[in-house]
Amino acid sequence: MNNVNDWADISFNSRDPVYLQVVRMFKEKIVTGVLHSGQTIPSRRELAALLKINPNTAQRAYKEMEDQRLIVTEGNSPSRITLESDVLRQIRSELLGGAVEAFVASIRNIDVPLDELLDVIRRKYSEAQEDKDD
Amino acid sequence: MNRYVKLVHMEVHRFRYVLFGMMLLTAIWQTIGVIYYAKVRMDGWREAARLGNYAPRPFSFADIIGDSQFWFALPILISITVLGLYIFLIWYRDWIGRDKFAYRMFALPTARSNIYLAKATAILLFVFSMVSFQLLLLLLERQLFNGIVPSDYRMSSLFSEAVAANRVFELPLLPLEGVRFVVYYGTGILAVFVLFTAILLERCYRWLGIVYAILYVAACGTAIGFAANLNPYGYFYPSEITAIRLGIYLVVMGVTLALGFRLVSKKITV
Amino acid sequence: MIELIRVSHRYLCRKVLKEVTFAAEKGQITCLIGLNGAGKSTVLKAIMGLTPIHGGTIQIDGKPIGRDTYEQVSYIPDHLAVPPSMKLSDALQFMEDFYSRWNKDRASELMRFFGLDYRERAGRLSKGTAAKFNLVLGLAQDSDYIIMDEPFAGIDLFSRESIAEVFSSELVGSRGVLLTTHEVGEIEHLIDQAVLLRDGTVARTFECEQVRSEEGKSVVDVMKEVLLA
Repeated sequence: MNNVNDWADISFNSRDPVYLQVVRMFKEKIVTGVLHSGQTIPSRRELAALLKINPNTAQRAYKEMEDQRLIVTEGNSPSRITLESDVLRQIRSELLGGAVEAFVASIRNIDVPLDELLDVIRRKYSEAQEDKDD
Repeated sequence: MNRYVKLVHMEVHRFRYVLFGMMLLTAIWQTIGVIYYAKVRMDGWREAARLGNYAPRPFSFADIIGDSQFWFALPILISITVLGLYIFLIWYRDWIGRDKFAYRMFALPTARSNIYLAKATAILLFVFSMVSFQLLLLLLERQLFNGIVPSDYRMSSLFSEAVAANRVFELPLLPLEGVRFVVYYGTGILAVFVLFTAILLERCYRWLGIVYAILYVAACGTAIGFAANLNPYGYFYPSEITAIRLGIYLVVMGVTLALGFRLVSKKITV
Repeated sequence: MIELIRVSHRYLCRKVLKEVTFAAEKGQITCLIGLNGAGKSTVLKAIMGLTPIHGGTIQIDGKPIGRDTYEQVSYIPDHLAVPPSMKLSDALQFMEDFYSRWNKDRASELMRFFGLDYRERAGRLSKGTAAKFNLVLGLAQDSDYIIMDEPFAGIDLFSRESIAEVFSSELVGSRGVLLTTHEVGEIEHLIDQAVLLRDGTVARTFECEQVRSEEGKSVVDVMKEVLLA
């Protein structure tokens, strides 16, 4: 995971605070299993260089993640992803909830019964799973 | 102090090719002159000897220098012109050059007065290297003269006679009298500083600065002109006149340096 | 902290800067943003004493600008300002001669980072390469602050990227950076504080992250709002 290419692909939007976008990127990487609990993560300076962001922003993102108990830093050793399963579960539901909310918001104006909608979702979901397996 | 020396080195380095060029031009030009005018004299001598009507007078190196007035002086006049123009260019090149070096030069961690003094020092070094090069060249040219002219035709001359034989040496360049030498070069050094300060007036105040600069040069010129024309048979004793002249000189020099330092440190715009 | 308090500057009769007040903190990247002719370069020149000010004060860590300023602040002008016939190795030597805080190791590290050739002459560098070398001359000084004038103007994409990388690296470290740009879009993720300059006055000063979280606006949004209003 400390491969440069794994980090370089992020592009930031300019209207949300950059540090929050960094936090979100970490959450996505945890939920998708790219980062697993207990894994060490780059230092603030390294991360700033990898993501090409201001070191102060990286510092702020780490502070935020520490406050959310997403990462832990003990003394001078490098920061690690938390081992607390509560926190990890919470991130998972947070991201899922957010994605579904966005989905619901985008189809709200389409007049469709819930059953039909769920059918569509089931079909698309299994198609996506097949693609993933290929 | 250390950085002042480095700045002088930099200025000399930037002008080195032009300086060497002027030296080379002078050397080649004058060597041709010595050979040509020696040959003319030798031909005259041989002609007279062949006709046999009178025994010609042998000639000296000083005669050759005397014969070749304009030819000999030309590279010197060119060099004086180039150095005169460079008094301006040594400043303006830092603004008008493609590199606009002024941005870096004035941001160097040193007192700005060092930049002013280094540029002045560089100009004076160029002048004195040209003058000493000319003296060295005269010695070599005399060797050359001795080499090409058979000893029968030749008579020896003092080095000072050779210097005195050309008006360009006699008048401004190498006055043989100590006092005149000091006065000429002292005035020359002052003129360089006055021009530098005038250039800085222009650089700091642009169009208005040109007016200031002209007025400033005129004021300095008047003061020095007044000092030069104090009547020695008038009211003052000669020693008093010398003291007044020195006083005026020092005041003009002091004001020029103080103004120049202030402009370069506080008012300059790159 | 580089602090400008009510700084004014005029050229002939035109007021170029009118009571400009802002501060660039150490450890932060401050960006002076404005359209061409807003007075951005003049602010930097005034800090370096390269143009006189006609009112106000400029202080660096609480002291007025003077000889020490030039070791404390490294200035990267918008052009290389090295004689065209000079070799890069000679230009580095020149800097080493004059700056007591010159860091030779950092200079070679930067030369490697940008892939520059010591034997090349300054006048033969392409625009992008000249901009990189210009950065080497500024960053290799162990100064407390770096001020740079339009480091991205007129430079090809790849040079721009590698120059932008400098800001998130150890090369800048804990120093204070003050840079100007008329085109903030590309670097808006990199800066901490923005100072918008319009016709010689500070139209607005803000923390970029704060504007994003409180107003949901990008730096470019605020810039358009303020400067084009």
